[in-house]
Amino acid sequence: MNCYSEQVCAIFVDRELAVHEARRLRDHLVTCPRCRGMVDALRAENRVLGESLRELPEEAVLGFPRSRLSWVWGDVAASAAVLALMSILSVWVDKLRIPEALEWLNPFSTNGVTNLIFNLSYYFAHGGTAMLADYAAVVGGIFLLLGIGALVLGRRWRLHHPVFHLLIVLLLLSLPSFALERRHADFVAVAADETVDDSLLAAGNTVRVEGVVNGDLLAFCRNLEVRGNVKGDLVSFAKRTVVSGTVEGRIYNFSQSLDLNGQLGHSIYGWVQSLRVDNRAKVGEGIVVGGGDVSLEGEVKRSATIFAGNVDVSGTIGRDLAMAGGSLTLTNAARVNGNLSARVRQLKDVHIADGAIVAGKRDIQVRVRQSPFTRPRFYFHQAVWLAATMLVGWLGLALFPGFFQACSRAVGAGWRSLGLGVGVLAGVPIVIIVAAITLVGIPASLMLLAGYLAAIYMAKIWVGAFLGRIILKPSGVTKRDWLLGLLVGVLILTIVGFVPYLGGLVRLAVICLGLGAFAWQAYWVSRTATTA
Amino acid sequence: MEGLDLESVIERARSHDADALAEIYRRYVRRVFGLCRYMLESRESAEDATSEVFLRLRRSIESYDGSIPFPRWLLRVAGNECIDALRRQRRGRRVIVEVEDRGTAVEAPSAESSPLSVVMRKEERLDVRDAIARLPENYRLPLVLRYYSELSYEEIAQQLDLQRNHVAALIFRAKQELRRKLAHRSK
Repeated sequence: MNCYSEQVCAIFVDRELAVHEARRLRDHLVTCPRCRGMVDALRAENRVLGESLRELPEEAVLGFPRSRLSWVWGDVAASAAVLALMSILSVWVDKLRIPEALEWLNPFSTNGVTNLIFNLSYYFAHGGTAMLADYAAVVGGIFLLLGIGALVLGRRWRLHHPVFHLLIVLLLLSLPSFALERRHADFVAVAADETVDDSLLAAGNTVRVEGVVNGDLLAFCRNLEVRGNVKGDLVSFAKRTVVSGTVEGRIYNFSQSLDLNGQLGHSIYGWVQSLRVDNRAKVGEGIVVGGGDVSLEGEVKRSATIFAGNVDVSGTIGRDLAMAGGSLTLTNAARVNGNLSARVRQLKDVHIADGAIVAGKRDIQVRVRQSPFTRPRFYFHQAVWLAATMLVGWLGLALFPGFFQACSRAVGAGWRSLGLGVGVLAGVPIVIIVAAITLVGIPASLMLLAGYLAAIYMAKIWVGAFLGRIILKPSGVTKRDWLLGLLVGVLILTIVGFVPYLGGLVRLAVICLGLGAFAWQAYWVSRTATTA
Repeated sequence: MEGLDLESVIERARSHDADALAEIYRRYVRRVFGLCRYMLESRESAEDATSEVFLRLRRSIESYDGSIPFPRWLLRVAGNECIDALRRQRRGRRVIVEVEDRGTAVEAPSAESSPLSVVMRKEERLDVRDAIARLPENYRLPLVLRYYSELSYEEIAQQLDLQRNHVAALIFRAKQELRRKLAHRSK
């Protein structure tokens, strides 16, 4: 009798052969060692396949959803960048001639000054400068890492982060060659039967889009209504933004209030006083926002990360809900398909209705002000930062001994350094933005940004070294003395930095002093170079 | 809930008990994600598909009649979700378009076409997974549905909108391609 083909044997092994065929094959196996060997080998192969597949890929073993560390850093970086951009823009906007409709955005208007004072004092009292310094430290660290492991990082560098998207959108918009339609009027409208093929920059009192914008929409106005379709991203600087149509890209929001009643293809990022995702709304990806009141009634397909005063959820969140802030309410209609994590001040600020569904873990933590000091991790973290500061200080001293020592001496100029520092801290971002508007200026502005952030990070080194020198009063000027002074100074600054209220102001003063000293010294070096 | 047997958990989940649904999620999320990861191109899409499966479970579990084991049913649902996702990516077109039938001729025995050896160390199984991930989609999908989800040829045919004998041919060729890849790797 003829032997069976391998394919028929394979189907037999899969138990998919018709009953009568299978019976005939089984009879044949009794007499044919070749086919028996084939069937045994195919069975073994199936076993190997099954076992190999069931040992899940590495990334699945790591746990689902993805490790928290990565998204925490990503989101914190995104929020910090949004915050930084917003503050830079608000200063920048003040330097320009602002139409009346945008006056509310101006922090230096009569109305804005009182708000600004309260906001700033709240910001500094709650560790705002610490965040700025830490952010600068993170950026400084990234530059250091880039220098050491450019190859490793280079391969993994992916430009899909939301911040990069926003930067790309803003940079593209600033290019003169970019197809951009500008409309400026009291009432800017894209009619229902109208299609704008390019990106649209709209400025006015009210901007209403009822038709289609095929590119991105960038709006500066009091009221923005999107009833039609925006195919790209929406960047809104409006006081009030209402999206009842469709935005197929992302929403970068800098408006006071954002109401989403329609469809959003990707995510919402931004800073907002009041965000409402209506029960008809659908967010295709996630939400990363900071703000006052956030109400989620619709559907969010991925995770929501919210830093807000009040968060109300009565819709569906596809993955995790992470919030930090005042209060959290989950109504009966709420559904969180992943984990819920909340950081609040009091447990009673969290209300989860009995009917609310949280598929994953619930992790509700009460923030106690003193808590970081009781955790060993905090001291470890501080020790690592201190070591990094010392390392950067040592590197700077080894590479540019004269400049570093002169910078720390220049701190001693006191008011001059402080005043100059304030000017540099506020002024350089404006220069960066203005430089970035022209195509030629982009590399220069990026270099300036790198230098600016590096200088913010190194400010504490120069101030620390100066402080240490005052305290230790060393007789010599050796590198060892300088580094010892730096250690003592930075230690003192770190400890003082944790004093409530005062700490934030001290950190700000340190940044200003250091920046001022650096600017002064840089000025001297360049002057000497030109005269020589 | 953790110590409860599966049947009771499913029974509770059918009546929309949140804890029971959470328990099912806890028990099966990795297996479902594993399937989605094998079937879809990116981790993001796999995460989306996994979310979607458990998001819809509240409704879809009502249609589970107990005729097949629950894990297999769940993986079938997940497989459907992945194929829907792939269809959406291709704007409604079929996932596997055409299969030319090469018949059932006996292949000439060679080192490359003989079945994989029985003894497989852990790192070799990693190679197998890697090779599966690199298979073309029309081979990878049926293979994964058969040996990960343990679906029958008929079920796979329904999911992929193919004829049953085409599924058999695809799985057979997938294994041959896999052997070829692994043989090249070990050379």
